[in-house]
Amino acid sequence: MAYKPQYGPGTSKVAENRRKQMNRDIKLEKIRDVTDEDVVLILGHRAPGQAYPTAHPPLAEQGEPDCPIRKIVAPTEGAKAGDRVRYIQFADSMLNAPSQPYQRTYTEMYRYRGIDPGTLSGRQIVECRERDLEQISKDLINTNLFDPARVGIRGATVHGHSLRLAEDGMMFDMLQRCILDKDGIVKYVKDQIGTPIDKKVAVGKPMDEKWLGENTTIFHVLGGNPYRNDAEYIEYIQRIHSLRTKYGYMPKE
Amino acid sequence: MAETSYPQIRIVPARFLTPDTAEVLLNEILSKTGIRRIVINGPRVPETVPYGPARGTPNVIAQRREIEVQGETIKLQVQVGTILMELEDETPIPEIRKACEAVLTNFPFTLQEGRFMRSSMTMTDYAKYGIVEDERILGMVDPKSKTRPIILQGNR
Repeated sequence: MAYKPQYGPGTSKVAENRRKQMNRDIKLEKIRDVTDEDVVLILGHRAPGQAYPTAHPPLAEQGEPDCPIRKIVAPTEGAKAGDRVRYIQFADSMLNAPSQPYQRTYTEMYRYRGIDPGTLSGRQIVECRERDLEQISKDLINTNLFDPARVGIRGATVHGHSLRLAEDGMMFDMLQRCILDKDGIVKYVKDQIGTPIDKKVAVGKPMDEKWLGENTTIFHVLGGNPYRNDAEYIEYIQRIHSLRTKYGYMPKE
Repeated sequence: MAETSYPQIRIVPARFLTPDTAEVLLNEILSKTGIRRIVINGPRVPETVPYGPARGTPNVIAQRREIEVQGETIKLQVQVGTILMELEDETPIPEIRKACEAVLTNFPFTLQEGRFMRSSMTMTDYAKYGIVEDERILGMVDPKSKTRPIILQGNR
């Protein structure tokens, strides 16, 4: 029988949302339409229209050693062309943001190839070849993994995920890379490291409380989804904890 | 140094305040009599980018501005999240609560009584700051900071 991943335990809405994000058979819901050029501007790694700088010659030119693994694994487009490795980093508010650092890493590992995610408590970075990165970033911004107000694209100075929101509902950002404009649309005025960009990059309207409550992947009493309500999740975590405590990294019962 | 006999209060709005709201709220609160000291607290909004590849470049932010409180100009260095106050006695507390209710209408806030400022120096304070001459700023700011407290003349 073929192995079917279960993705995660839990009977709650949050657990279901987590599984939906991780399961690559379920297409991510497209919500907004940020263009390629906009993504390049927010990332700030190259100017729009500029050729991709390279780290090494294209694979076809440099000649590959005779290696069985290289025969099995097809290179991604970026690796084929010899692109540099670049990154995008997200900070997700604990107040019902649609994705969370660990969740992002799981989701990306299931859905994309040739990536190197790094997970921290308040931010999640994903590194890969530049042209792959732009495609992945576009996916991550345009779909239900992103909310303009409660998710920030922040390369440095990420502080804010665990703080109260501002009066207008935006997550705190000491560099204020994105602002809620008068027309109600969130616009990026700086790239992810905080350098001002030439034009305002619109990333859409903040999602409403109802949508955020329905689509969140964080258990949070203040968000209306207390962890203790999901008995199956707690049972699973307690079992893992107990096995780890009793048997270290050799979980035999 | 804070005398233990002076009551202290802390106002915590559920959201971070914009400079506009902070200006209105502070003007409302500081028009009451009997306030000895006040600290405006919150996460810092620096003037230059502190980390990363853009470190040192000016941090241009539309929202950061100077606010005018009781005729004095205050350069906000934080996004206002908490206001700590030390009072002469407990009489102005109901008025301060009313002022908060009048300004903070879109979201809730809490107003607590307790001890929120340091009343004496700790061992670590001595190690860090040595002898502090002006003890009024203890428990409010870093005594070694070059920016000095703003003194409002009050209305008594």
